[in-house]
Amino acid sequence: MNDANKALEERAKRLFDESVDGLDAATLSRLNQARQKALEASTRRAPSFARWAPIGGLATAAAVALLLIQSPTTIDAPIDAGAVEFELLLSEDSLDMLEDLEFYEWIDLADDGGGDSVG
Amino acid sequence: MEAFSPAFAVSCTERDTGARALRQTDVLNRFLMGIERRALRYAEIAVRDRDEALDLVQVAMIKLAQNYANRPEAEWAPLFYRILQNGIRDFHRRQAVRNRVMVWLGRGRDAEDSYDPIAQAEDRAGRSPEEIVETGEAMQSLEDAMARLPGRQREAFMLRTFEGLDVAGTATAMGCSEGSVKTHYSRAVHSLRDTLGEHWQ
Repeated sequence: MNDANKALEERAKRLFDESVDGLDAATLSRLNQARQKALEASTRRAPSFARWAPIGGLATAAAVALLLIQSPTTIDAPIDAGAVEFELLLSEDSLDMLEDLEFYEWIDLADDGGGDSVG
Repeated sequence: MEAFSPAFAVSCTERDTGARALRQTDVLNRFLMGIERRALRYAEIAVRDRDEALDLVQVAMIKLAQNYANRPEAEWAPLFYRILQNGIRDFHRRQAVRNRVMVWLGRGRDAEDSYDPIAQAEDRAGRSPEEIVETGEAMQSLEDAMARLPGRQREAFMLRTFEGLDVAGTATAMGCSEGSVKTHYSRAVHSLRDTLGEHWQ
């Protein structure tokens, strides 16, 4: 770097420093306010996990709720034998059978030993 | 031997975290306090408007505090100037659009909007009015000459000369290679010498 360049840089630096020192009180006050706002913003900044945790919790709860609502129609559960009998009983034909329950009891008794009694 | 208490451990951890946060805020405060005046003048020279410069500095401070407070302190200055520089470039882009629209509408800029650093300056060094005027004129000449430089050359000159950043720090602030910084800086100094003349120095 030659002397002329060096001289220009030094003069420019000195003038700039003087202009910085010459800032008025009102401007300095506004700078102070700006800095306080920045510091306030930095203390408000939450850790990333804490920021996303409530949203993650809500998403999980919503997913579970959706699963529970849709499960009877979408999930094939193993069919219980008792449930099948119950379903048969509740069908329309079964209700007819219940009306003739005494008849079926009589047939049952006849099968067990009715031959003797009839014959 | 004392029994280990989880509650005590959690309490200590919280206290450590709080103390660390306070310490970090204090360090950040001192950093910003040390840089804010120079940053304001830097932005003011770049945009030639004090209110705009104040807004740009405030935005840069907030972005640094929110996004980079956890980075090592040595990185703060280049990062801060990079944020500020991006804001200045955005400002110039908006101004270019605005000027095109104003020209299209047939309206120029009002003379009373022009910035006068001498009128705003308040001397603290006890200099005579002549010295103040001389210094003000010299600074004004420098600002005018810098305004005529290409943007990247002006950035390199201001960051290296005014802010005292080294080549690596200037490259980080400008978002370019160290070789580019050297080229821009060298061209800026030569252009300024040609524009200002020998008598200015």
